[in-house]
Order: sequence, then C-alpha cells, then structure tokens
Amino acid sequence: MADRRRINGPPGATAPPIYEDDSNQESSGFKATRTRQPNTIRRMYLKTGVTPSASGSAYLEVEMPGKSGASGLKLSCTVHGPRSLPRSSPFSPHIILSSHVKFAPFATKQRRGYLRDPTERDLGTHLEAALRGAIIADRWPKSGVDIIISVIEGDQDRGTAKNQADDSWEDMNVLSGCITVASAALADAGIDCVDTVAGGVAALVRDGSDNGKTKIVIDPIPSEHDKIEAACCVAYLPSRDEITNLWFKGDLPSKEAGLYQELVEQGILASKQANRVLVECLGETVG
Amino acid sequence: MSAATATPLAIPGQPLGSTSKYQPGPGTHIHQSTLYSSLLGVVHIVQPAKAPGPVKRLNKIAPASAPAELPTISVSRSGVSEKREVLPEVGNTVLCRVVRITPRQAVVAILICGDTVLDAEWQGIIRVQDVRATEKDRVKIYESFRPGDIVRAEVISLGDQANYYLSTARNELGVIMATSEAGNTMFPVSWKEYQDPETGAVEPRKVAKPY
Repeated sequence: MADRRRINGPPGATAPPIYEDDSNQESSGFKATRTRQPNTIRRMYLKTGVTPSASGSAYLEVEMPGKSGASGLKLSCTVHGPRSLPRSSPFSPHIILSSHVKFAPFATKQRRGYLRDPTERDLGTHLEAALRGAIIADRWPKSGVDIIISVIEGDQDRGTAKNQADDSWEDMNVLSGCITVASAALADAGIDCVDTVAGGVAALVRDGSDNGKTKIVIDPIPSEHDKIEAACCVAYLPSRDEITNLWFKGDLPSKEAGLYQELVEQGILASKQANRVLVECLGETVG
Repeated sequence: MSAATATPLAIPGQPLGSTSKYQPGPGTHIHQSTLYSSLLGVVHIVQPAKAPGPVKRLNKIAPASAPAELPTISVSRSGVSEKREVLPEVGNTVLCRVVRITPRQAVVAILICGDTVLDAEWQGIIRVQDVRATEKDRVKIYESFRPGDIVRAEVISLGDQANYYLSTARNELGVIMATSEAGNTMFPVSWKEYQDPETGAVEPRKVAKPY
C-alpha cells in the first residue's frame, strides 16, 4: 500500500505487550474454554447518542469473558442524514442507503490499512442488505443516509497466536454487532423503520473435549473452540418474524439436512437476545 | 419500562393497536391491519375534531367520512430529540433564499419548512411560469426576485434529482424580505414593488401579501 501522505505503522503484525500472567498460562498449555451456556450470548453494552455532531449515533461493546485485558468487540456507529443527494445522482423516490464499515488500524491482530479492503467492503454490503429490509425507504424521497461504523476493537483474542489463518470467523461477530449498533443509531436518528433489526451468530463447533463431536453454540469466540465447522450470521426482525440478511459460511455434513435449519434457528435466538438489549437501550433514551 | 412512565414510549416495530381503533398518523405504519410505530418517540393520540354546532342540512353529496371518526395515533420525536429531520413535501409552505436567477427560473435554497428549520440544505427552483397566477407570459424573473431575497413559497413538486419545484402563484406568497442595490432593507409599497427607505429608490419584486 503506497500511502506516502500518512505516517504508517509497521505493515506486519506487531507484538503487543504480553503480561506475565498471560504468558505463563500460554506456556503451560492454558486454553480458553467456553464457560457460558451454548445458548447464551456474551454481555453487551449499548448506548445511543454518543456523537453530538451526527444525526444519530450508537456505541456497542461486547465483553471478552475470562481473561482480563483481552479485547472484545467495540463498535461506534454514526448516521448522517437524511440529507440531499449529490447533484450527479439520478432522481430517487426513496432514501438511498450507503453503509461503510471501517476497521481502525489497531482493531485486529493484523494491522489494517487506511484504504478499504475487501473484508470491509463485504461487511458494508451485508450491513446494507440487513438494514434495507428494516427501513421504510419511501418516507424519505430524494434523500440519502450514510451509516458509518468504526470497528475500534475487532473481537480477537490477542493472547493466542493460533487461529491466525482463519480469522474470518470473527467477521461474523463483527457483522452481527454492526447490525445491532446500526439499528440503534438509525432509531436515534429518527429514520422510519419497520422494526428494530438485530444481528446474531450461531456456529457449529468441534471440540476436543467432546470427543470430536459437533455442537451448535451461539455467539462463538473462535479462540475458545478447537475448530469451527460452519457459522451463520442472521439479521432478524423480531416482531415481524422476518430475516433480512443471512450469511452462511463453512462446511456442513451433507447427511444431516436439518443442521442448516437448526443453525439458522440458533442464529435467530442469538439475535433475539441482542434485540432485548437494543430495546432496553432505546427505552432508556427517553425521560 | 414504558408502561411506568407518564408518556408512553414507542420503539420501532412496537404494535400500537388495530386499524379499526386508530387512524395512522406520522411515525406509524400499517402491517396486516395493525398499526406499528416506525420511530423511537412518544405516542400521541389525537381525538377527531367534533363538528362545530348542529349538523347542517345536507345540500351536497359528500362521501361518508366514517374513518375520520377514529382518533389519530402518531409517534413524535419531540420528547427524544429536537433534531428531527424534515423533508419538504408537496403542499408545504417554505421559506427560502434566492441564490441565483436566470431568465427562465430562480434558484433558491430552502431554509425553513413549515415551522422547522432544516438541517440539510435543499435546493429549489421557481420557474418563470410559477411566479404568479395571472399574466404568466409577462413575468420576468429579474422583476420578481433578486439574489439574496427571502421568499415564501409553496412546494408544488418533488421535482428532478436536485431541485424541488416551488411556486409563488398566490397573494400571500412571494418576497418577504429584500435588500436594495444600495444594501438597505426595503419595505413593500405595492403588490409588485419594494422601496428603499433611505434612497427612495423603488425596485420591482413579486411581493408577498402581509398576513
């Protein structure tokens, strides 16, 4: 990336300070294991109206259980608009959504550049699809709205060196957080929505402790499991009982046809739990 | 949470009641004959206005206004945030500033829509045929508006991609504030003239009738 105008950090992985406790655990073969129930999501914190200059904004934080100092998920979302479209764009009878997801350079183990990379583009497209199903677009003719999400921490366990190759499983968690936080910011901006959309992730994991048998967990943390076989991220409207976006990835054993449906249902369950936080957060904004 | 507070709060997707009980107002939508909130805000229920006085004898055929009897339910952002974006809609009266004029149209920036000051800047156009209702073919834009004038106008169309189409073809629409070439604020002297109080110069405008 030939970006000469800014002072770039080192291009490769950097070594964050590792404190003695952690390194002892690492060397003694310590491995994070999931202590939550398979059907519970992590605790999250959501607050709207954090950016005064934006029409609507929200901040989401998901904890990383177990280790102290390990990074969870931190997202900040701003919504700008509805505002007039640029002169070059054609007439539109409905609102035009544009969503941008940007990782902070320090958000993940691998340092991110300032230019948009394919992952960010992909997340932006998924987010746009998820929100388009929730917005009542024809209430706002001839206008556009920009949804900008900054990923401050990308839900990666910095202590572990393994799983470095398939870090794309974390993108699912990031996307589900993005959907939830964008929904809160849209409600804060006063843009008409059919429902509050929230994201949820379910994964089919294989753990050595379970004699190699697979099971379905929701809100998975990749470092807590030996292998993730498949995962799906669902954007779900609870009062309509509709899915606006579904992202499915991985391999499922072909002989178990019901597994696919099961995974989506667990994703919906995760989304419902996130939606409870969302509803409570929106309720606190008034009064 | 919302039940405890005095003003009931609605979040998007919250059911508000059946369409047989309420009429939909702003901030609501209908799905499968149930009204839902589409905004985060405070629920207002407005009872329909009763017909004043005794009912007159029917002297014309009017459609039966059964749905008008229902109270209107709406969700407003007033309790949540004052920053409510509004879009100009057809039929709204807006205040705007003239940005530039051409022989065929005046380009304006819409500043206020109804009672709300707009956050974003929306551009509008007053075409020469929309300046006044009579003698449309004699209208000259430079005898009606000048850049910098504040104009009260009505939205007649959402227009093309960039502009709303506005009209001043009513007595109470037109220039409400104007500055002379000398730079002084002028006062209206007739339906088509403004006068400078210091130099006494008279300039032509499409003058709005004072309320």
